[in-house]
Amino acid sequence: MGVTAMSLGFSATSVAADTEWAGFVENATYVRDGVGLSKFRNTAQAEFSKSLEADGWSNVSINGTLRATYDGVYDLNDEEFGKDATEDYLGANWHDQDLSSTILLPGTPLPCENDPALCKNLDGYMDQDEDEAKLPDFNDELDFIRELYISADKRLDNGDILNLSFGKQQVVWGKTDLFRVLDVINPVDYSRHNIYDELEDIRIPQWMLTAEWRMGPNEVFDDSNFSIVWNIDKFRPNNLGTCGQAYRIIDAGCFFSSRIIGGGPYVINDVDEHDWSLANSQVGLKWEGVYGDATFSLNALHYRQQLPSIHTSGNGAAPVPGSNFGLFNIHFPEVNLIGGSIDYYSMNQDAVWRLETSFTQGEEQPRDAYGYKKTDMFRYVIGFDKNISIPELGTRSAFLVSTQLFGEHILDHEVDMPNEEDNWIATLLLKGFYVNNRLSPQIIIAHDFGADATAIAPSIEYLVDDHWKVNVGFNIKEGGDKKFPWSITGGAAGGVQTEPLARFLNGPIGVANQEDEFQMSVRYSF
Amino acid sequence: MLNKTFISLALTAAVSTSAFAATEQDVENSFYPYKNGVPSFNGLSAGMTINQSNVEQFKEVLDPAMYEFIKAGDTEVKVGETTSFDLHSSYVDATKANLANVKLGVNPGEISGSVAGRPFPEEPSLDDPRAGEKLAWNYKYGYNWGDSAAIMPFYWKFRNMETGKLERTLKFNFHFLNFTHRTEQTPTPAITPNPSNLFRGIYVQVLEPFDVKNTQLLIQRFEDDLKRDNAYLYLGFQRRVRRLSSGQVTDSFLGSDVMIEDFEGYNGRISDMKWTFKGARNMLVPMYNHNDMELDSESHKDDEGYQVVAFGGKGNCFPNVTYQLRKVYEVESSSVDSNHPISKRQHFIDAQTFTIPRNITYDRKGDMWKSWSIGQAHPDHHLPQNKGKGVAIDDAFTMVDMQAQHCTTGQFKGIVDPKLTPESKMTVQNLRASGK
Repeated sequence: MGVTAMSLGFSATSVAADTEWAGFVENATYVRDGVGLSKFRNTAQAEFSKSLEADGWSNVSINGTLRATYDGVYDLNDEEFGKDATEDYLGANWHDQDLSSTILLPGTPLPCENDPALCKNLDGYMDQDEDEAKLPDFNDELDFIRELYISADKRLDNGDILNLSFGKQQVVWGKTDLFRVLDVINPVDYSRHNIYDELEDIRIPQWMLTAEWRMGPNEVFDDSNFSIVWNIDKFRPNNLGTCGQAYRIIDAGCFFSSRIIGGGPYVINDVDEHDWSLANSQVGLKWEGVYGDATFSLNALHYRQQLPSIHTSGNGAAPVPGSNFGLFNIHFPEVNLIGGSIDYYSMNQDAVWRLETSFTQGEEQPRDAYGYKKTDMFRYVIGFDKNISIPELGTRSAFLVSTQLFGEHILDHEVDMPNEEDNWIATLLLKGFYVNNRLSPQIIIAHDFGADATAIAPSIEYLVDDHWKVNVGFNIKEGGDKKFPWSITGGAAGGVQTEPLARFLNGPIGVANQEDEFQMSVRYSF
Repeated sequence: MLNKTFISLALTAAVSTSAFAATEQDVENSFYPYKNGVPSFNGLSAGMTINQSNVEQFKEVLDPAMYEFIKAGDTEVKVGETTSFDLHSSYVDATKANLANVKLGVNPGEISGSVAGRPFPEEPSLDDPRAGEKLAWNYKYGYNWGDSAAIMPFYWKFRNMETGKLERTLKFNFHFLNFTHRTEQTPTPAITPNPSNLFRGIYVQVLEPFDVKNTQLLIQRFEDDLKRDNAYLYLGFQRRVRRLSSGQVTDSFLGSDVMIEDFEGYNGRISDMKWTFKGARNMLVPMYNHNDMELDSESHKDDEGYQVVAFGGKGNCFPNVTYQLRKVYEVESSSVDSNHPISKRQHFIDAQTFTIPRNITYDRKGDMWKSWSIGQAHPDHHLPQNKGKGVAIDDAFTMVDMQAQHCTTGQFKGIVDPKLTPESKMTVQNLRASGK
């Protein structure tokens, strides 16, 4: 860190202030219908900031966030989760058995505990052992260091400010909740709680250098800022949850650790890892500003797809029972993204409209017959936020109503893609405030039109005082009934199959259709 | 007949919208009302205390809410000497320089010719149907925090008035910056470039507690009063800047008893309200010398030895400060929007400084709902760096929800120093940069 700081042209000359610390300890206990305990997560998080003085620089600080998590569900409900978890058939946690699930064996839970050959195939991706599932922050990537970066401002001769930040950090683009369009610089860890935790808590921090040229107002714009982000970390994809973990989005983890019946090949042959190199680093540019009633950004990013793409392994050799041969390799192709966002406050409606959009080249979508296809993608979110006073509900505080329509268009769509050419997910947040905002009920509803799946999450948060906070809620999902033909079992002519392709169609809400939960968390912050 | 009506209307409009012939004497009278003596009231003297036993005697110099509080034994009022809060000479000079240039427009919220200084220094008249609006402009373009200032830190405490239980303590930094109507800090009279013609910025950053840490609020008020403020909220746990609709401006701010619209006595557009001047009177208002007050040695400690004002009374909802008998203008502002959560505010505007040390808020039914006090400290008896700044320092506030028997109190360390509030503080990008 010191070497890096020097290379940026400044060095700390004296400590300007004491280190500020803040943080919390939290227990999150979730109980899943028919399963029992699904989460007993205990988290301790500490955040610090230390200001420094440096010649010629201002606002110099070192900032960090440290987190330790222990999820006791693997000790307390080891029949359902962990290395000894078993399923009757692949996908038993979200659909009935059909012909497709008799060809694929159930996924091997935590394969590195149970199947060394499969563990080798999955090396580097979704290959956590049980200790890593219990203590997800303590791994080779030192994820217990959620953030650690140094930041400094340089005032330029014309009054503009140049800010440099270097270190392990989160860089947030975009303005959407639950689903991401532009906010794709950091990969995310869906194994923590599917899509439902705050992105702040599930973004996987990356070692990055950011430079911001804060130009402030000019004759046209009220604010203008140009930034460059250079992600120099080794590429890490999204964590979808290893088979055996309590949360594995679209049940990908168990599919990846499955194999063909009768000692047939594994599903996954290898994971295409990307060693650290400058050529593998990721770069983004953003120009953002304020023009009248609109705030806007224009974004461009060269990165890698964070969701896995499955390529046939190309190995023509006949599978040998007992060998580690697999059908597919996991790839993470390079992607170019351009996009933008705009917020507009409508005075007539007294409401805020949000629009966020991206166009990507290089992404790959799964297919039945051909494994995958590279296709351009167009995504957008239209958001609408308004505060509505509803005195009949017993509070003078206005309710926050926030709706979003998330759209995705596959430009080079094929009929054997297990995704709609156009799909939409709508979300609604209704949040109220009582007792000086210390009691806050809310309901989140998300509906995936293509999957015909719905998640409903009512909850109540109570701030006991400045330190204690209790949150109680439910998370209910419906759907997950979509089928998709699999040519291995005769395709469309073979009837309706669920495995393995319908998981993509049913999406994160539909595939979690049996994950109805009662959720409670208690937090003490300091 | 028609012609006569038309002429009458035209004359009324002319009288209403054009400048009265305000004179330099008007300016002197407005800024130095105690030059030739301070007001008095029979039986009232500095050093005495008004409490349940003698409140009836002094009802005439108390506002209705304070009278009710004292009568109920919720608080007592200690009387201090009436002192002159001279505003900075640059503001007085700017007032003189713009005399006779300022005119109201045809509609509420429209004004022209106001570059800097007090727009309407002349004594308001009950016969002037737009006198209330003029006083509101005097407040809006007042020297409230000077050209810029900061409150660092600023403690807000949520209290149950019945039990006295301290429910929450929020620690903030507040910053204020005038883009236009500047008189003392360079550049004057305006910061450029300023493409959207902003008048003022208010930037708020939450330091504690953890659940709202790094929440930030930026309010950009336009020179054009008919345009709604741009308000941006940064939520630390989301790391995103969100635009606020005006519904949130009239909502409880972070769970307190204070709306964003309540800041400083009134923090909204002139055109959002119908302003009615109800008359001038002498009244006891919380204005004092900070260093002579009872201070709270627990809530805040720093290397300068600065301490914030102590609170007492029922539920610890009242600042332990002295009240001066001062000339105030009573003005009512009733909301134009029928969906607004309040029906009206009763403002008691200090005639010398045009700060609003006392407010009473009425709910939609017309019942008394909230009582607002914001203690004004003389800058020469506060922090050393505030001496001579000519700013009445906001120093201690309380917002009492009389219906819910709940209050939010505020304890300030107000600093008039332009270095603390550069214009870069008032940008959307600053929210992202500071919240990271």
